[in-house]
Amino acid sequence: MGIFSAITLFQASLVLYLVAALAALVFIKRHKLSNIVSNGLCILASLFGLISSLMHILSGEEKIVLGTFKSAIPYVTLNITIDKLSAFFVLILSILVLSVSVYSIGYVSHYYGKRNVGLLNFLYSTFILSMIFVMTAGNTVFFFIVWEAMSLISYFLVVFESEKEENQRAGTLYIIMTHVGTAFLLIAFMIMFSYTKSFDMFGSSAMIPIFAKNIMFILFLIGFGTKAGVIPLHIWLPYAHPAASSNISALMSGIMIKTAIYGMIRFMLVYLNIQQTWWGILILVIGATSAVLGVAYALMEHNIKRLLAFHSIENIGIILIGLGVSFIAFAQKNEPLGALALTASLFHSFNHTLFKGGLFLGAGSIQYSTHTMDIEELGGLIKKMPITALLMLSFSLAISAIVPFNGFVSEWLTYQSLFINIQPNQAGVNIASILAVAALGLAGALAVACFVKLFGISFLGTPRSNHASQAKEVPSTMNIGMGILAMFCLAAGLFPMIFIKVIDNVVMSMGTQSIMGNLQGGFLIAYYPLSVSGNSISPIGILTLIISVIFGLLVIIRIIGGKYVERKYGTWDCGFETLNSRMQYSATGFSKPLRIVLRILYRPGREIKLEEGVSPYFPNSIRYKVSTEPIFEKYLYVPILNITQKFSQKVKFSVQTGNVHTYLLYIFLAVLALMLYNRLA
Amino acid sequence: MINVIYILVQIMVIILVAPLVNGIINKVKAFTQKRKGAPLLQMYFDLYKLLKKNAVVSEVSSWIFKATPYIVFSTALAVALLVPVTTLIVPTGFPGDIIMLVYVLALGRFFMTLAGLDTGSTFGGMGSSREVMISALLEPSLLVAVFTVGLVSKSTSVYKMMEAMKNADVPLAQPVLIMVFFAILIIIIAETSRIPVDDPATHLELTMVHEAMILEYSGRHLALMELGAAIKQLVFITLLVNVFIPLDQYIGMTGISAVIISLLVYLVKVILVSILIAVAEVSTVKFRLFSVPNLAAFSFILSFLGFLQYSVFGR
Repeated sequence: MGIFSAITLFQASLVLYLVAALAALVFIKRHKLSNIVSNGLCILASLFGLISSLMHILSGEEKIVLGTFKSAIPYVTLNITIDKLSAFFVLILSILVLSVSVYSIGYVSHYYGKRNVGLLNFLYSTFILSMIFVMTAGNTVFFFIVWEAMSLISYFLVVFESEKEENQRAGTLYIIMTHVGTAFLLIAFMIMFSYTKSFDMFGSSAMIPIFAKNIMFILFLIGFGTKAGVIPLHIWLPYAHPAASSNISALMSGIMIKTAIYGMIRFMLVYLNIQQTWWGILILVIGATSAVLGVAYALMEHNIKRLLAFHSIENIGIILIGLGVSFIAFAQKNEPLGALALTASLFHSFNHTLFKGGLFLGAGSIQYSTHTMDIEELGGLIKKMPITALLMLSFSLAISAIVPFNGFVSEWLTYQSLFINIQPNQAGVNIASILAVAALGLAGALAVACFVKLFGISFLGTPRSNHASQAKEVPSTMNIGMGILAMFCLAAGLFPMIFIKVIDNVVMSMGTQSIMGNLQGGFLIAYYPLSVSGNSISPIGILTLIISVIFGLLVIIRIIGGKYVERKYGTWDCGFETLNSRMQYSATGFSKPLRIVLRILYRPGREIKLEEGVSPYFPNSIRYKVSTEPIFEKYLYVPILNITQKFSQKVKFSVQTGNVHTYLLYIFLAVLALMLYNRLA
Repeated sequence: MINVIYILVQIMVIILVAPLVNGIINKVKAFTQKRKGAPLLQMYFDLYKLLKKNAVVSEVSSWIFKATPYIVFSTALAVALLVPVTTLIVPTGFPGDIIMLVYVLALGRFFMTLAGLDTGSTFGGMGSSREVMISALLEPSLLVAVFTVGLVSKSTSVYKMMEAMKNADVPLAQPVLIMVFFAILIIIIAETSRIPVDDPATHLELTMVHEAMILEYSGRHLALMELGAAIKQLVFITLLVNVFIPLDQYIGMTGISAVIISLLVYLVKVILVSILIAVAEVSTVKFRLFSVPNLAAFSFILSFLGFLQYSVFGR
């Protein structure tokens, strides 16, 4: 145990986050100082966290128990336990926090003198701290406390710009939904305690009978599913994530919803440790549904941050597809496949943190310099903000699972695990798997459509408003913050083996065998760095090939065609010479074909208002409004709400009459019932 | 050393045959319309001429516009190297994975659709918007189809698929493969911008998809876009003929002569499929854009039924 052991570094990082939070409060009056000191400390803390978690994953140690605090209440101890799974999630959190903190130094500067920057940074640091505790809690009581703390702090961050009514509504929706989810978790923890008489998350679940495990599985699925934002529990997510400021959105979308994935793996896979086949199929189906519907709704959004929030639902779906396959495989004692699918799932969690964090930061950069989030008002930003544009393009390619970025590798692993999952004599699993393949393909292609829209409409063409034409490149700290994430995206795409090796250690620690035998290949540069049972890919090989073809082309074209002569001229305007920015394709127009094709899902409505001029053919103004119907709100939540309200009304009139005598009767009956119960039991 | 020769042979065959496919299709179309039609080798002359011309670039566009032709061409060629023209040639060290093939082509498509939006022209946006719709509708069918072929041949690697099919007796006699064959044929027609999904010969804004996206291109950029599209078309055809109609097993020779004969066999197969595509093109009319989902659904159902057939009956 030297000074540089994993545990001391981890403790140091916790202390540094705490100091960062306090520093933000101490300098609350001096916005710039508070911002720089607090974020600087967070950068340092995240570096410590990164190194310590990596050290722990690669070490031989199984788990570290840190600071057990026994309280006066029986059974209740508070402790921090870090095993490899926890360390993995702390690792991805640290990478994200590192870049978001660098980014925040520049980004938060637009709040100077306008908002309480000290409070923002205090909440920022405590939010990170609460997430680390969620990932490292050793028993369910402590887990529950920090889970609740995380929800509350994120609520405060959602309503940080509280004067906007939409933010208040988003916050209210968020806190209600998150508490509904928490209630399910609470019931599950109570069932757990009633059978095992212990709050220990790392204990054995052997004493719990199978039917109780099934109930707990459903409870966990709803509880964590709400936090993860799976469909149909997603309704809070597209409102809450965009409401927060962009650096917070990056954390919420990048890592907060991953705490739910962590919870699912920790409680459903590791703790309950049975895994019936139908659990996996259920997760697979939910994952496939979320993937397709998430991206389908994203396609109709023209607010950049809300679009990205819907993409979080899609990616959680992809993560759950991998997780579902691993559940099925573990239930059938097919350990190599289980390990492979779990690796795919964890790798996609990691990748999603990188590119989604980056995309939200990019959205923040756009907001910083154009003060709008509406794609329809942007355009031509690639010339005003070249670096931001390049970074956003990389993240867009990564999230669309396009070679050579990281999203492709984890989706490929998911495809391969689905491929291996299809085996003779199991019709249900096979059909679920092939439909998941189709869903994954559809989600991938729709993601391409969505990000072509996002990047093409906002960065290319000509500016559609003054906001866009007056945009300027953002401060370099913001670009550096995003650049760190882009580097990781490219590195994880080109050298996936390094990252999979780390994840393999995590998966192995859960009692399965290593997948490195199944998943072979060279370490860095080889023909096929990644190979699953004979099927192999080489992103770096393909990239080398593409680059060498381009160089070869340049030479050959020079020989055949001579020197490159270019003539700059206006875009083809059919000879009218009045092409303006409003004649470009808009985001609404771009997504229209798919809106029509998927109309059964969107149920689009449109409204055209004409203000007539001299002739009906030359109106003075036209307003065109297109809307889509939120089917889950309308057909699932509103009916539930109505039933609840009706029921409350009934209760109000028949039970809670306001009559003191009736209330006395209730108390009497309750005491009588309790006495009888005690007597009989 | 032998690898380098293989790669060169593969590149030469692909680049030389790709424009020929377009020539054959146009010749057959002209024949059915009782025209003489352009010479078979017209596309080579066009490409040569385009390469010598100056390029006109829109003032509005950014670096994406100029980078796109190179990316589209090189992704198509890179993918072509993953699909051997004959099983006797293994062009690259890594056996190409078919899922990777789909996603490398997506890189080219991503940039092509971006380039459509880059010039600020309505035509480009329209083309891009339609292209992403069509490709999104076909993607599930494509993946289910290649997964099913993968299940039959126990691998998702293109080369191993071809090897496995070569050892099967007569692949196309299996019901599963007949269904998947037609599913993939529909995808090829749609992906290569042919009637009834798109019309390569039109410049009418109501009907064009691929042509709308590349409307602003000229000179060498246009040449690269055209040749890239032709190569992509040939890659799909190669995939189809070499997986479903492997005739390599009947070549009882070894050495250089076997390679030459198998290349000739390959050429015959490509010509036959080109004629098939041309016949499909002349015997239908272009669909309304919003009828394309029906076609995609048909293709999806074929490949899904193929999958069910295989998982229930095993053949």
